[in-house]
Amino acid sequence: MVNIAVLAKISLNLNLLKIESNGKINTAESPLAISEYDKNALEEALRIREKFGGKVICISVLTWGPVNKKLQDAERIMRETLALGVDEAHLVVDDYFDSCSPLETSLAIASVLRKLGNFDLYLCGESSMDVSSAQIPARIASILDIPFITYVAKIRIEENKIFFHRELPNGVQIIEAQPPLVVSVTGEINQPRLPTLKQILQSKNKPLIKYTLKDLQIETKAGKLNQWMEVRPVIRKNIIYEGSKLEEIAQDLINNLIQEGVLKI
Amino acid sequence: MTSNIIVFSEDSKIINDALHVAYSLSEKTGNLIALTNSDENAEEYFRNFDEVYVTKKDLMPDQWASLLRKVFLEKNANYVIAPHTVNNNDILSFLSAKEGMHMVSNALSFQEKGDYYVFSRQVIGGRGISYIEISKNEKIALTVPLKVYPKINLNKSPLVKEITEIPNSKINFAGFEERKRSGVNIENADIVIGVGRGFKNKEDLKLAQELADAINGVVGCSRPIAADYGWLPNDLWIGISSKIIKPKLYIAVGISGAPQHVSGIMDSKVIVAINKDKNASIFKYADYGVVADLYQFLPTLTKKIKEMKK
Ligand SMILES: Cc1cc2nc3c(=O)[nH]c(=O)nc-3n(C[C@H](O)[C@H](O)[C@H](O)COP(=O)(O)OP(=O)(O)OC[C@H]3O[C@@H](n4cnc5c(N)ncnc54)[C@H](O)[C@@H]3O)c2cc1C
Ligand SMILES: Nc1ncnc2c1ncn2[C@@H]1O[C@H](COP(=O)(O)O)[C@@H](O)[C@H]1O
Repeated sequence: MVNIAVLAKISLNLNLLKIESNGKINTAESPLAISEYDKNALEEALRIREKFGGKVICISVLTWGPVNKKLQDAERIMRETLALGVDEAHLVVDDYFDSCSPLETSLAIASVLRKLGNFDLYLCGESSMDVSSAQIPARIASILDIPFITYVAKIRIEENKIFFHRELPNGVQIIEAQPPLVVSVTGEINQPRLPTLKQILQSKNKPLIKYTLKDLQIETKAGKLNQWMEVRPVIRKNIIYEGSKLEEIAQDLINNLIQEGVLKI
Repeated sequence: MTSNIIVFSEDSKIINDALHVAYSLSEKTGNLIALTNSDENAEEYFRNFDEVYVTKKDLMPDQWASLLRKVFLEKNANYVIAPHTVNNNDILSFLSAKEGMHMVSNALSFQEKGDYYVFSRQVIGGRGISYIEISKNEKIALTVPLKVYPKINLNKSPLVKEITEIPNSKINFAGFEERKRSGVNIENADIVIGVGRGFKNKEDLKLAQELADAINGVVGCSRPIAADYGWLPNDLWIGISSKIIKPKLYIAVGISGAPQHVSGIMDSKVIVAINKDKNASIFKYADYGVVADLYQFLPTLTKKIKEMKK
């Protein structure tokens, strides 16, 4: 039996960002999506449960508000994790966490975790696709006072030992460690499954538990930070060739590249 | 307020990048204190610090994290700064959580704004920048990018202390496998052809190689081609989590244009995209876009170039 908590971020949907004319990202109007590598964390948790049994729960702190605009989207994403096979979903929704920093996010996650008891593994993504601070895994480990192993591309279980293969820039580091552990995974660890229609229907009956700030114990002396995001402008020619006359297109393209001075023939 | 600054790196060879930021933050007051490992060349860069805590052992991240916390508390430091690597970022996150501190990962720059510092960092896969205001009175941790700052030489005479008491690690090192390298330096190439999941098989990549050979370019790739499929070595993968390139000409073939990829090619002089889906986002970032099947268009393009060369 292995009990696993998956930390899944409800991230901004990078393909549907609402960008203002001054380049600022309007997070209040941007739709949400589950962060890419958290799908891999979920998948890994489900695979471990299939082999060894146990429970998989999912926790998320909604960090993009306002809650009244985002709640539906956030609940939909949590339902998707239930449809995939998660047993319970736990969602923190409070305008206090709108655009908050990893400090507040990790305190909220840890506070929910404390209510739920101990897990063997706490699985995260290597970094979230919108802010990518890669702080949450080590912060959670620090608060829970257990070890962390990040950027794991393979988990190998042999008899009584568990080996973690860490993808580092110059190679793969192999770590052996015993639970409880916080582990963050890369996108390469597995290929996430899609839910079946039956699972989607069943997910409606599974527990989705919500918390607000007053349900949590959060103490911090640090002030909340003011932050905003801008998109770097793109200035390109955007000349698009379409159609079936590939020879002509190729010739035209080559001529243009020669004229631009970037191709010599 | 005096502000002692801890400059940390599990690898002392890259500590200069963090030192630079520490030095600009510390100009008026405070001591610069290093915590790092050492090698035979360490003497020289240690002269940039007032105090140095050093170990000659290879430590695990959790061991570093306890040492760092000890020095941080002992020295009553306000800032901890480290060059941005996977392990340094983890170690600073661990400390920040213990001390209830904010942390900025991979801070590109900082500016003073009254009682605040405004830090910037990349977000949205590198397509965006976030700005973060932090009061000068807050204790904070920062990691900073590698290789952007010139070497400095402060010529101090530091107190160097070797750390003798090392806490136990709760995880065990069980091996390291070096990664195979391509030997190609795509960061310096004038022409790069990027291949993506539009290619169905590893063998098909030769279509891109033939074009590259015809125009004196090199082949790079999107993350899945290297990381998921292993069709090309990791040092050829382009994007926020690997190589940032600025060639004269970048040709993206069968690549969708995810922000994490695009942020690695934004400074290319001219960008060409070949993709069969006319709604692919890569076209927004392209000077020239060809909506076509790469299996038909690449051979046509290569053939034309070869004909023109004759
Ligand atoms: C934290 C994080 C970091 C990341 N870092 C990176 C990074 O550094 N670099 C990186 O590249 N990615 C990175 N990614 C992954 C990124 O999000 C995308 O998943 C990846 O770039 C997609 O690769 P692709 O374009 O090759 O594949 P896909 O997105 O699958 O695109 C394939 C494209 O090929 C086209 N195509 C298919 N068949 C043909 C054909 N016959 N002819 C022409 N076109 C065809 C399709 O229309 C499609 O647009 C990162 C992701 C995260 C979350
Ligand atoms: N708001 C959140 N709720 C739940 N998990 C999160 C949240 N933010 C980050 N995480 C987890 O921490 C990982 C790293 O995120 P980050 O530190 O933002 O790069 C993510 O892949 C998630 O697993």
